[in-house]
Amino acid sequence: MNNVRKSMAASAQALTLPFQAGEKKVDDRELVHLSQQGDEAAFEELVRRHQQRVFALVAGILHRSDDVEDIAQQVFLKAYFGIKKFDQRAAFSTWLYKIAVNECWDYLRKRKVRPLIYEADLSEEQVSRLDGIVSSTRPPEGPNARTETREIVERMLDVLSEQDRQLLVLKEIEGFSVQELAEILHLNVNTVKVRLFRARGRIIDAYRRRLKPAGKSHAAPAGDRKE
Amino acid sequence: MATQSEFGHSACRNYEARLEDYLHGELRGADAQSVIEHWQSCPGCRARFEDAALSLRLLRAAEPSSDPGPGFARGVMARIRTAENEKLAVRANFWQPFVSFGWRFAATATLALMALVSYNVAWNHPAQPKVAAVRPTEGLDLLAPEPVRVSTTGDEVLMMFDGQR
Repeated sequence: MNNVRKSMAASAQALTLPFQAGEKKVDDRELVHLSQQGDEAAFEELVRRHQQRVFALVAGILHRSDDVEDIAQQVFLKAYFGIKKFDQRAAFSTWLYKIAVNECWDYLRKRKVRPLIYEADLSEEQVSRLDGIVSSTRPPEGPNARTETREIVERMLDVLSEQDRQLLVLKEIEGFSVQELAEILHLNVNTVKVRLFRARGRIIDAYRRRLKPAGKSHAAPAGDRKE
Repeated sequence: MATQSEFGHSACRNYEARLEDYLHGELRGADAQSVIEHWQSCPGCRARFEDAALSLRLLRAAEPSSDPGPGFARGVMARIRTAENEKLAVRANFWQPFVSFGWRFAATATLALMALVSYNVAWNHPAQPKVAAVRPTEGLDLLAPEPVRVSTTGDEVLMMFDGQR
C-alpha cells in the first residue's frame, strides 16, 4: 500500500504543475493571495505542497485511525473557506497546522475514545523486535520493517499522556521542529523541550517494564540512582 | 531539584530543556560546556540523558507517514466543489418559502381583483344623480307641490341663494 502511494507521489511530481512550470517557483504568499481572489488552481497547488505535512500531523495526533485521510481533507476544506480571513501575518503552513490540530482535537472530542492499549498487548515477538532496535545502532531496513516498528512504537507510546505522545511522534517520527510544535500546540518552546525530555524517560521506563519479566538486563539504567 | 522516575532515574529540572537541546546537538560553546560539566557530575541527569538517547533510536526507527499521493489534492478539490454546491443549494432553500409565499400571495390577489371586477360589471347600476331639494324658507304650505328636483352639482344651490338675496 505504501509502495503504491510512493509511486503515485513520484508520478505526481513528474507532472508539470501550472505554478511550477517556470523556473521560478511561486511562493506560498503569492498562492495564498491568488486563492483569496478565488483562484482554485492556486489553492490546489497549496494543497499539493502541504498535503504531506498535514497528513503527517493528523496521523501523528490520531494514531491508528482510519479517518486520517478524511480529517486531512477536512483541514484543507476549512482552509479553503477561511482563506479570505487569513491575513498572512503568520506563515501559511503554521496557519494550516493550527487548523489541523483543532480539527483533530474536535474529532477526538466527538469520538471521546482513546483506544486503551495495555502493556501486555505487545507479543513476545514484538518485544524482541523492540529489543533489537534499542540494542542495535542501525535502524531496521526495508519499509515493511519500519512500518511494523512504527506500530510497536505507537503501542509503547500509549503509556504517555495524549499530548506527550503527540509531541514525541510529531518531533521524532514526523519531523516537526520544537518551534513548530510550540506554535501549533500553543506551548512555550521551553515547555515543549521539557515535556519531550520527560516523555523520553517515560517511554524507556515502559520499555524496561516490558523487559523485566523476560529477565533481560542489557537496557538497564545506564546511570546511578539519584537520592 | 530533580524529577524522580519509577526506575529511580531523575534529571535536574533546570537542566531538562538544555539536555534536550544537547541531545539534538543544538548547544554550542559555554552552554554546551556547562551541560557537559553538569552531566559528568550528576548521575541522575546522565541516566536520563542516556534514556533519552535510547528513545531517540527507538522513535527514529519508526516509519514516518507517507505522502498521500496526487489523488489527495484532487479529492480535496472535489470536496470543495461539492461543499460549494451544497452551500448554494442551502442558500436557495432559505429563500424558497419566501418565494413560494410571494407566488401564492400574487395568485390570491389576482383572483380577488378578478372577482371584484366581475362583480362590478355584473351589478352595474347607473349612478343616481345628486339632487338638490329647494324648499321655501318662509311658512310651510302642505298643499304646495313638491319642489322641482333638478340635477345639481352643488354650484346651482349657491347660485339660487345668491338669487334670493
